Amino acid sequence: MSVIAATMRAALAEAWSNRSAFWTQVTAIVLNDIVWIVFWVLFFRRVGPMRGWDGDSVLVLLAVLATSAGISFGILANGRRIGWFAADGDLDAALSLPVSTLAYLLVRRVETVHLGDILFGVVLFAFVGDPTPARIAVYLFGVAVGVAVLTGFLVLTGSMAFFTGRTTIGDMGFNAMMILSSYPVDIFVGASKVLLYSVVPAAFIAAVPARLIEDPTAADALGGVVAALVFCVGGWVAFSLGLRRYTSGAAWTRA
Amino acid sequence: MTLRLILTSMATAARRNTSDRSSVLVNIVFFVVVASVMSALWRAAAEANGGEIVGYSVVAVTWYALAAEAATVSLNMRMIELVCDDIASGAVATELLRPASVLGVRISMAIGAALPRLAVCCAAAAVLGPIVGGAPPRALGVVLAIPALVLAIACNLVAQHAVAAAAFWARDVRAVWFLYQKIVFVLGGMVLPLQVLPDGLERTAMLLPFMTMAYVPSRLAAGFIEPELLLLQVAWLGVLLVTAHLVFTAGERRLQVVGG
Repeated sequence: MSVIAATMRAALAEAWSNRSAFWTQVTAIVLNDIVWIVFWVLFFRRVGPMRGWDGDSVLVLLAVLATSAGISFGILANGRRIGWFAADGDLDAALSLPVSTLAYLLVRRVETVHLGDILFGVVLFAFVGDPTPARIAVYLFGVAVGVAVLTGFLVLTGSMAFFTGRTTIGDMGFNAMMILSSYPVDIFVGASKVLLYSVVPAAFIAAVPARLIEDPTAADALGGVVAALVFCVGGWVAFSLGLRRYTSGAAWTRA
Repeated sequence: MTLRLILTSMATAARRNTSDRSSVLVNIVFFVVVASVMSALWRAAAEANGGEIVGYSVVAVTWYALAAEAATVSLNMRMIELVCDDIASGAVATELLRPASVLGVRISMAIGAALPRLAVCCAAAAVLGPIVGGAPPRALGVVLAIPALVLAIACNLVAQHAVAAAAFWARDVRAVWFLYQKIVFVLGGMVLPLQVLPDGLERTAMLLPFMTMAYVPSRLAAGFIEPELLLLQVAWLGVLLVTAHLVFTAGERRLQVVGG
């Protein structure tokens, strides 16, 4: 565990080493995220409340999404690269280490730009989330669920590259997850909505946590925990099985 | 820059992009997902407002969303970053050795790469639209929307090159693509019809070139027969081409002076 913690510290130090680049990237992503606030404000100003969502609740959704995605893409940045590593044979360096390969890969690299998402999410929640101790606790719980589901899903779909030799499924999974989790889940109906709670679990990244903050229910909380467990275990199993089929590309540096 | 060279560059890029079947599949899935989400959002908005939102019916707003996504998913929104990388690394210097305009070849290839993806998105929209929303409100609108989509991606790619040329002077402007993309999102009408914007902002957006990149084809596909929008696109394309040419020429001169 200390090796993994040290690896994460080194990755964070690496990201922090170039201060001007760090702040440039963080500022760029924060401005990028602010545009989403503009979009939702304009949207609800014209549309009004819709299927149980209004401007305030969607901004809470945005805060949870930014924090979860920021942690998953920023601190566990290699989660979305598993497929590329598998397809390109880039895992040799990680395989030689006496630690869990998956755990090491996940913390090995920090994507600076997404640290801005974390900052944005926390600040946005502070402003729009009405942060009482109870709501902060639910927010942190929701973010943990979101990170677990998102990272587990990305590892699971990325690991398909071990079997197919292509990154297509991982790329599609990433794109679908990012788009579908950015909107209130209740705009979807029927089979699409079922899909978002199961095969592509985008509902658990932000919509369910946001609903929990506004109106906590045991069913939503339990659903979040189950989804987190299922996708974390699923990701780990897929990666472990895939690793048995891994073929080296004689590349030593990218992981 | 001859017409033959432009067409050859476009054809080469088109062939290269269609040879990778998996990336075509990713493109289709991405378009279907994003178009489904946006059309679901706006259908829900229209339904919440008695079946119409800012003059768009449920069906019209569905086709607006499909066309807007086709106009943006078809092209690489990170083109700015790629061009910046090539300028900053000096890779563009080797292109100066060719007896052809660097900008001309690059834009031709970018458009050539985007056209097959646009065709695929249009085909997917033709299937998806009737399923999620219904038949297009006006057939003529769809007919007008097709050239408008081509002009939209041309305007977008030329503008991205004009912005990316800043890399000839500034060391790293790659992050600008984030902001550019978001401007197209809102002021270009990609994620919302411009009529949703507050009055002042809507008027401003109508005066900017970004509206040619998503709003125009989407407005036409939504059944508003306004062919003058096509002329507006052509005019803006001309302005953007001249701007990109001037900035690139000045940048190339600077690159040669500094030594590349």
